[in-house]
Amino acid sequence: MLISSQEAAPAGVLAAAASIAAIALAFVVPWSTENPAIYSLVDQILIAVTAAFSVFIMLRMNLMTFAVPTFMAIGAYTSALLGLRHGVTDVLILGACSFLVPMLFALPLGALVLRLSGVYFVLVTFVLTEITQLVLFETPGLTGGSNGLVGMPAVTLFGFELGDNKGVLLVTIGLALAGALITSAVTLGLHQHFAAIEENELLAQSLGLVVWHYKSFGFAVAAGVAGLAGFALANMLLTAHPTSFSPLSSVNYIAYVIIGGKGNMLGPVVGAILLVWAGDMFAFRGEYSQFLFGSLIVVAVLVAREGILGTLQRVLQPLISLDTRRPLHTASTIPTSTATESRP
Amino acid sequence: MKITRRDFAMAGAALAALGTLAGSAAAAGIQELKIGVVGVLSGPAAQWGLALKGAVEFVAAEANRDGLIKIDGAPCQVSVVAIDSKYTAEGGAAAANALAGQGVKFIIGAIGSPELTGVKPIAKRNSMLVLASSYAKDAIGPQWPLVFHVGPGPSGWADPIIKIAKQKFGMKSVVLVAPNDQGGTDIVPVEAEAYKKNGIAATEEYYQRGTTNFAPLVTRIMNEKPEAVDLASSPTGDAGILVKQLRQAGFEGPIGRLGGPGYSEISRVAGGDSVLKNFYWYEPIVVDEKAQMIADDYKKMMGADRPENNLFFQWAAGVRMVLKAIAKAGTITDTAKVAEALRSLPVTDPNIGTGHWIGQEFFGVNQELSFPFGVGLITDGQLQPITRVEAATGK
Amino acid sequence: MEGIVATILIGVSLGAQYALLALGFTLIFGILGVVNFAHGGFYVLGGYLAYASMAFLGTPYLIAVILAALGTAALGYLFERFLLDRLVDDHLSTLMLTLGLYLMMSSSLLAVFGPQSPAFTFPLTGVLRWHGFFIPIENLVVLVVCLVGISSVYALIYRSDFGRALRALADDRAVATAQGLRPKLLFPAAFALATGLAGLTGALVTPILSLAPHVGDPVLATSFLIVILGGLGSIGGATAAAFIVGMVEAFSAVYLGGSKGALVLFVLVLLMLVVKPSGLFGQRVRGA
Repeated sequence: MLISSQEAAPAGVLAAAASIAAIALAFVVPWSTENPAIYSLVDQILIAVTAAFSVFIMLRMNLMTFAVPTFMAIGAYTSALLGLRHGVTDVLILGACSFLVPMLFALPLGALVLRLSGVYFVLVTFVLTEITQLVLFETPGLTGGSNGLVGMPAVTLFGFELGDNKGVLLVTIGLALAGALITSAVTLGLHQHFAAIEENELLAQSLGLVVWHYKSFGFAVAAGVAGLAGFALANMLLTAHPTSFSPLSSVNYIAYVIIGGKGNMLGPVVGAILLVWAGDMFAFRGEYSQFLFGSLIVVAVLVAREGILGTLQRVLQPLISLDTRRPLHTASTIPTSTATESRP
Repeated sequence: MKITRRDFAMAGAALAALGTLAGSAAAAGIQELKIGVVGVLSGPAAQWGLALKGAVEFVAAEANRDGLIKIDGAPCQVSVVAIDSKYTAEGGAAAANALAGQGVKFIIGAIGSPELTGVKPIAKRNSMLVLASSYAKDAIGPQWPLVFHVGPGPSGWADPIIKIAKQKFGMKSVVLVAPNDQGGTDIVPVEAEAYKKNGIAATEEYYQRGTTNFAPLVTRIMNEKPEAVDLASSPTGDAGILVKQLRQAGFEGPIGRLGGPGYSEISRVAGGDSVLKNFYWYEPIVVDEKAQMIADDYKKMMGADRPENNLFFQWAAGVRMVLKAIAKAGTITDTAKVAEALRSLPVTDPNIGTGHWIGQEFFGVNQELSFPFGVGLITDGQLQPITRVEAATGK
Repeated sequence: MEGIVATILIGVSLGAQYALLALGFTLIFGILGVVNFAHGGFYVLGGYLAYASMAFLGTPYLIAVILAALGTAALGYLFERFLLDRLVDDHLSTLMLTLGLYLMMSSSLLAVFGPQSPAFTFPLTGVLRWHGFFIPIENLVVLVVCLVGISSVYALIYRSDFGRALRALADDRAVATAQGLRPKLLFPAAFALATGLAGLTGALVTPILSLAPHVGDPVLATSFLIVILGGLGSIGGATAAAFIVGMVEAFSAVYLGGSKGALVLFVLVLLMLVVKPSGLFGQRVRGA
């Protein structure tokens, strides 16, 4: 099984590179349009992608996390407090802090929750998001309570202010890129370790892998990436508000990964683009928006079992193999981990 | 392989861009005034957004029927674009951005504080005029010159209602109950202050949003032995259960709900007026014959019953003010000029009555609409006619 | 002293309602391995079915409750048989599927019945009072029905062939299937049993609380708490944990207030996991 995982690596690299390129491509937007609706959509998509990467990292270890909003909140409130209370506006410092502070929180939390596996982990991370809301409400002195924090100064880069639509989008793209680079570095760098944990944790442990270290590290990095998304969200909204980190919002981030395809890093990108765009379109349908969103998820799961990307690969494979000289199995190894995961 | 995948991602982005552009490419011939509605249209608070949406659609139809808006003498068609803000800051921001992308200059909504928090910066960036209704302490203010408030909020109506309730029931202490999020914390401290000003001791209790069974909380309230309980801005369903469970626990005192309309739903859930027994509440509007005409017109023009939530009337009066201001300013693009016209318009509505611009004392800016409102009373299980109260002056 | 007894009474009646809900949730997980995000949806649907049959068909409440339980069970059966069954071993997909179903259910209810609570009240009113204690008759009836419901589920699971078959499937599906049990027939039945329980609870509880399209949202969080505490898939654990959660909720809300009380409950559950990661009564952890 480890052999097949090693084979999967080059495809993973390819997908990671493609998703980084896709995010970098967003740099075109600020120079090609002034339409605030498009800015807003791209902002939302990139924040969604970044948050979905956090889910993606945890899935590498066969853990599904609902705790993304928790760490997004920590990142968002960290950046807001630094800006409001300490006048920090430099986007590099804020970005670094919104990555590192959630990591610091994740280490003790990880010691608590990483002992759990499977559905236990899922449910406990969901409870964490509920606790997050209550903690925010009960600490008005620090977090502004139910009103959240508003009025942060505009962020700067080398002294240039990034406060307008364009500036906000640039910051979001930058943070999404950082998130993508970190995610790819960690998931590809520790590819074999994660794969071993995913396939059979006990076996990996008995073969000498210190599973504990890698899981903690992965959890902390996932928390940090979520923190980046939280910072981007607070920066876009000019507020760090409890409603932005509601327990059920975690479901969206998971949906981006699963609907897009959890096999490689491009999946969350595809899923976020589709679902965020659809969500925005459906919002025009008012009271039917939720119904449409629900049906989209049901249809996507039923039609594309391996996620849109995974299914697309399977469907397109024969066509592609006609005009490439590459051997078939390179492409087909990508979903191996998916296939093994869904055994009874 | 790489190219195919990237193409796919790109196609998605391009598709997304196209979708949003399609709206703005419409309407090229006749002049069109697009009114944006940002409101919560799904989820537990949907009835608020549906009342708002219904009111704006109605007033737009009315304006089109009467040919109200003319720009340089040419008639201008009023249309409505409603977007679901999902009661979150990012939903509000996304909705405002989507409207800005369509060239919409006037936003009616948002309703809740979180949504409005998301709308305001976007509206300011795109110089859009906003008529919102949140109860937040900073809903409007000098830093948001284009944001108006359909109101009044609790700072306007709490005092007159408490005076009436005190005269009727003579309570000396009250416990205020509301959810622990912004829907509750915006309003309860303001009301507690108003109770104290009237010599009534007030304590605050917050419950977790989503609580379904209030029996423990009711026990806690009973332990405090208050003479009255005010359910403030607790959602109507919650308020109904709270009333029922308070009465079951043997609470005999008056119960208030100074938070918004919804008496009939509370009565349904609680089990009737006899359970409410002694009850006082804020009614945004007195639905008399004149006001009823709006509802009748709505049925005639829209072919359906008006939304049940009574804020519908308040919104209708507010939106009419905005359209009058647009007509007066003679522009559908220069929002600063429309805002100027709106501030100088006398607050009056043919169906609702006359009022004032208030807000200077509480918000620091006189941009809150204050129309006459009503106080509902049930005494000894008998529903009393709604008392009409002159528009609050906010002082 | 009076206060404590009154609070215990509240805790017990909360616990009984939670137990009936959590049993269904934990059954689905234990037997199918599915985390049912639509569980709250079936609870609300039960409430609306009972309401609709009283309001539009004019049935008495008792018949309405039975119809609601049967209706939600039938929908659950169809859902499992035709949608869920195809993906039943893929935990992520089933999670997404039930979530999508929940969104569709709650928004359909909103579209059909409107956002406001209809007039749907329990046929029996009145409060029994005794030396400063009180219990509303409706709560007493619901408590009794819940206890009967819980015992029937126990009898079904531990005393009937159907229950034995389900337990065998939950224990080891491969072995059970090899011995001739047929998941294709049993899974939809188990799912129907669980959703029927949720519908029954909804039909019983929403008239004494309130009925609106979104009152199912908190059901999910409560069910989560209970199965974490009780140990996943454990029926006895879920029952005990439901009463513990009901009791903790009652005491913390009475003595600390609604918001802080909820925080205490969540943190207690989290701390418990430090001591015993598989829940109070859980033995083994099923992988996802």
